[in-house]
Amino acid sequence: MRVWAIAVNTFREAARDRILYSILAFAILLIGASVILAGLSIGQESKIVKDLGLAASSLFGAFIAIFLGIGLVFKEIERRTVYVIISKPIHRVQFLFGKYIGLVLTLLVTVGVMALLVVTLGWLVDGHWSPGLLLAAGFDFLALMIVTAVALLFSTFSTPTLSAIFTLGVFVIGRLSGDVRLFAEQFAGPGVGQAVFAIYLVIPDLARFQIGSQVIHGLPLAPADLGQSAVYGVGYILMLLLLAVAIFQRRDFK
Amino acid sequence: MRALILLSPARVSACCLALAGLVLLGAVIPLHRRTLSPEGSGVEDRVLLLPPAPALRAASLGYQGMMADLVWLLTIQYLGGHLTTDRRVPELRRLVNTVVALDPHFVEAYTLGALFLGYTAGDMAGAIALLERGIQHNPTRWELPHDLARTYYLDIKDYPRALHWFQVTDRLPGRPHYVPRFIARLYAQTGQAENALELWEALRESATSEWVKEIANREIAKLKHKAAGPGKDGRTESSGRGSRPLPSDALPAPRRGEGSHG
Repeated sequence: MRVWAIAVNTFREAARDRILYSILAFAILLIGASVILAGLSIGQESKIVKDLGLAASSLFGAFIAIFLGIGLVFKEIERRTVYVIISKPIHRVQFLFGKYIGLVLTLLVTVGVMALLVVTLGWLVDGHWSPGLLLAAGFDFLALMIVTAVALLFSTFSTPTLSAIFTLGVFVIGRLSGDVRLFAEQFAGPGVGQAVFAIYLVIPDLARFQIGSQVIHGLPLAPADLGQSAVYGVGYILMLLLLAVAIFQRRDFK
Repeated sequence: MRALILLSPARVSACCLALAGLVLLGAVIPLHRRTLSPEGSGVEDRVLLLPPAPALRAASLGYQGMMADLVWLLTIQYLGGHLTTDRRVPELRRLVNTVVALDPHFVEAYTLGALFLGYTAGDMAGAIALLERGIQHNPTRWELPHDLARTYYLDIKDYPRALHWFQVTDRLPGRPHYVPRFIARLYAQTGQAENALELWEALRESATSEWVKEIANREIAKLKHKAAGPGKDGRTESSGRGSRPLPSDALPAPRRGEGSHG
């Protein structure tokens, strides 16, 4: 109940943030512009609208996760509101989980709006619904939940600027995790290769949540792989939140 | 300045907006237009400076489908610019290969790319290599072996290979109804002109682009012109110079019922 109260409050706070609306406006503009671009594509309207739409939804969703996530805890400390909260009978775990759920709710609404726009545009271009797009958007959302958890983790011990740089770095490496593995296996020397492979295992594998291409091309998706990715995502988020709690628990607020 | 200070904030804002609009229309847009190259949008520069596919793949941060679409749009701009001028497209092969390297399942990039490579750039080897690459990545799509068969059949006139790829097409779901008929005619070594005409008409009917329709119309006109000439029937064309006729003893026996449907 307390977690939910903090989550709702965080959601309200995020909903008042102008950054959210600027990013959302740009995303909607880009998704809308994809229709104009698609007209120049020699019969590839459907593919271009869906590709650009899903990419815009994922990319701008990541911006929202990063730029709102980095200030989640830091703002509370800076404004000293955290003293009021932790002096109440609220455990720090509840505080962090509430903050996280609040931002995830904000993301759910914004990514949901973008995904619905993509599905609607896809329907207008194709003349039929593509429910697979919602599945692709769902997996993108799971990847964004990981990015939010990374931002929250950095937010517990670092400044917003550094948190933004670190989270952006994790996001970029996570999106290119396949290339990191390839580098470790094929190009790096034995010692470096092992070190890079260790980094590959620790950094979130965000590439595994990219199923948009298969959905758009109508390729089969293995339910076992999807299930494994979902479990991996939830496990990774849990691990990050526990780490964030461990760090936040040790912080001394005087 | 004094007058500006005396204005209300709302009027200052309106005045600034009006001035910004005047500067945009009076200076920014005219100056921008003057710097445009005679070709227009600098597509040539963007094509020449386009990084290789591995670099684009890394830069795309995993949004490879979107990057492939952007390179595809650039390819169309490049192609369109040259189709209306000199019809020379030396960079087309590199562009199309970049698109399919970024998105190996982009079937239309293989089929349309091969068509333009063959009929606009005159690069049949490039067209065949592109379609073979497409078949490797998309073994369940009938369009790719079908177009490869068509290329061997109409352009290379290598009938055994055309037959092989039509047979591959025949085994795939969604293939056109005329494929079994083609296979039967290929076995019988007849009807080359009818086949060619039917292939081009099918392409024209399915084309979503005027450029593709133009290629199909041109080839149909050529075939009709040939057919109207004396002694130019389908049979003479099938055994014309440079073609590889179908060696009946080298071919597998036709499957039961082949050619009876469609």
